[in-house]
Amino acid sequence: MSQILLISGPPGCGKTAWILKHFQAHLGPCGYLRLPGFADEGLQHAEDGGLDQAFLCDQCPELMDLADQDVSLASHATNLLACLEIPQFHHPAESGLAGIDRRLIPQLAALQLMPQCHLHFGRDNELPQQDTLEFSALEHHSLPLNGAVWDPDSLSSFWFELVNGAYGDIFRAKAHVNLPDGRGFLFNWIVSQEGSQFLPLLELESPHGRPTRLSRLVVQGKQLQLNQIQNTINDCLLSDAALELQQGPLRQQQQLPTPSP
Amino acid sequence: MAIAVLSCLHANLAAVEAVLADIDQLGLDTIICLGDLVGYGPQPNEVVELVRERGIPSCQGCWDEDIIEGLDACDCSYPSQLAERRGQLAHHWTASQLKAENRDFLAGLPFSLRRGRLLFVHGSPNSQHEYLLPDMNAFTALERVDSAEADTLLCGHTHRPYVRRLNHGSIRVRVQKPAGAATSSSNLASSEHQLDLPLRRLINAGSVGEPRHGSTKATYITVDEDHDAVEIREVSYDVERTCQAILNAGLPPIFSWRLRHGFEYAERADDAAHVCER
Amino acid sequence: MAMWALLSGLRGNLKAYEAVLRDLRRERVSTLFILGDLVGPDPSCHALLERLRNPRRGELQPQCVVGWWDEQLLAEWGYRGRSRADGLRAAQGEAAVESLLNAVDQADMAWLANLPFGFRELDCALLHGSSADVSDSLSSDSSPLLLLDRLTRMDVNRLFTGRSGEQFCVELSGGLDSNLQHLAGVEEHHQSVPARKVIGVGCVNPGPTAGPSTYCLYNPGSDQVFFQQVVAQRGFA
Repeated sequence: MSQILLISGPPGCGKTAWILKHFQAHLGPCGYLRLPGFADEGLQHAEDGGLDQAFLCDQCPELMDLADQDVSLASHATNLLACLEIPQFHHPAESGLAGIDRRLIPQLAALQLMPQCHLHFGRDNELPQQDTLEFSALEHHSLPLNGAVWDPDSLSSFWFELVNGAYGDIFRAKAHVNLPDGRGFLFNWIVSQEGSQFLPLLELESPHGRPTRLSRLVVQGKQLQLNQIQNTINDCLLSDAALELQQGPLRQQQQLPTPSP
Repeated sequence: MAIAVLSCLHANLAAVEAVLADIDQLGLDTIICLGDLVGYGPQPNEVVELVRERGIPSCQGCWDEDIIEGLDACDCSYPSQLAERRGQLAHHWTASQLKAENRDFLAGLPFSLRRGRLLFVHGSPNSQHEYLLPDMNAFTALERVDSAEADTLLCGHTHRPYVRRLNHGSIRVRVQKPAGAATSSSNLASSEHQLDLPLRRLINAGSVGEPRHGSTKATYITVDEDHDAVEIREVSYDVERTCQAILNAGLPPIFSWRLRHGFEYAERADDAAHVCER
Repeated sequence: MAMWALLSGLRGNLKAYEAVLRDLRRERVSTLFILGDLVGPDPSCHALLERLRNPRRGELQPQCVVGWWDEQLLAEWGYRGRSRADGLRAAQGEAAVESLLNAVDQADMAWLANLPFGFRELDCALLHGSSADVSDSLSSDSSPLLLLDRLTRMDVNRLFTGRSGEQFCVELSGGLDSNLQHLAGVEEHHQSVPARKVIGVGCVNPGPTAGPSTYCLYNPGSDQVFFQQVVAQRGFA
């Protein structure tokens, strides 16, 4: 018997964190699908760029990708917990399953992922009562950072400036970042919450050049100065030579072989 | 008679004007400047010219030195790559703007000034780059004052104003050396004595042009030796005027944002005792 | 617990080093630290440097740090930016600089250039001069405040130094009251110093007329220092 949940809510309300908590508490297999949301809400959804899925996969290495039709259409494993996540600003018109946006139904039916339960942040008491912000008329930007490695102290300065409004009126910032020692972090911040989350990814890469995992910065806000954000990021990222300068001694400590040129 | 001591003007004309007006209003004739007239801020020529016009004796700060000698700040002064890139950008901009006569004036500034038992330096008696922070080890603070053969050491560089009075202390010293042609620890000459430590004062003047003490106000200090009184003064100034000048000068907008919020342009290493291997 | 042997001031003299190694056979020594001055002006240094890099069977692999003479050589060859061997030039003249350059093979320079400034082991700093500078000459006559500063800079309780060539151990303890006035008010502070030590390890090759060859043993388990003197091998310089 599998259980399929649809979780909706505005950006930053804690959908992914709630889903992770339930995956970690669930004893059987877990599956995840992030749906893109509908643009006609008059609001822009942040292009997640795969950040939430990458983070959940890191934390739950056995997680099934339900976007893969071979997985979603296969007969579901016993005791599967499937969570479908969708960003949605407006409260559903009706309660329970009847509140699911009708345009989703054909897609869910085709994937054979019809939810048995729909929970919306701000409507359903089963979910934490987060301060669900009015994200009206926000711009969003998604900056790819694949292969980029940050100078850790520079990253700390940049994030401080970013979330304190140095580059425009920021509402939400989320990033997967790489450090020279092979660690990756999820940086997560929303204007209504106190402080940032800095969550270490479980998967470690060896200090051997540039990492291959997904890396990206997603920001939402008003009058964001993207050029300045990009300029500062450029000043924070390590060149090949600077990266090797930091990784060489780490490899020696760990007695890893030096890469051949 | 009291004197006014200011430091770290950092090419912020509005702040320097406001502090000088405050000093004038107190009726103080003697002003001493502890350097860093330029760097990061948008009005290097205007600030140097104002200090020259007023005939304010100044020590040379690390920024003044670097503008003359070429970028010499050791890498370990910067806590991050970002801070270093911003520091270098500000350095090159300042160097390109500074008039020859103002550069010559900075080049001629002394490392330290002495007035009786008061010694004035930018960073520490060891180096223009060394930070003497308010919470530094008391013995280290005393060593810096005492080795400079002063009763009171006045410094800047940290951008945080304070007065540290080093009052009562002693060190028990036990010396062991080999006695004669000793070849083992059993034959040692040993002596022991107690050193009573002198009373000394370490005063930091804070920063006029780039405050970093949790407020955007300019800070400086007044010292009245006759009455053994030191006052840390905070002065409001037109921060927006300087922020606009930063943007007009084409300096990075982030400098304007940081100044407006009371953050230093580029953070520095908070370690007075860091070992520089250069 | 096995001991550390600490020596300094070899200044290119392989025979002096071999004499110490013979001496060490009588002791339970686990680690050998050489606190700088591997090269010097008089002999050809190559044989000693080769031995330090490649010890014979049964010999300890020494862990070396850069010394004042090494630093002068590196500076003169341009390894230290714009600095040159100004300290040596001022103290002993141009001829001494020439002798130093002639004493060391170019092939040894890269190895010398990679020597560390110092080591930190347990709560001990192992350096040639001090945490402030390789030329810092700490001795039993140094100001106690200065010695405390050098310990504080490395955040250690023991500092071993070789620059002065003297064998000594200065133990320091005490306290200091201070008050701090800032914009938010006044705070009272008391700083105390637990027993901290600065130890001079002596000099293996002080020159034919400058006294015996000396070094130091240290037991990190018991915190005992043993001042050693190589008696049998005089006049090898």
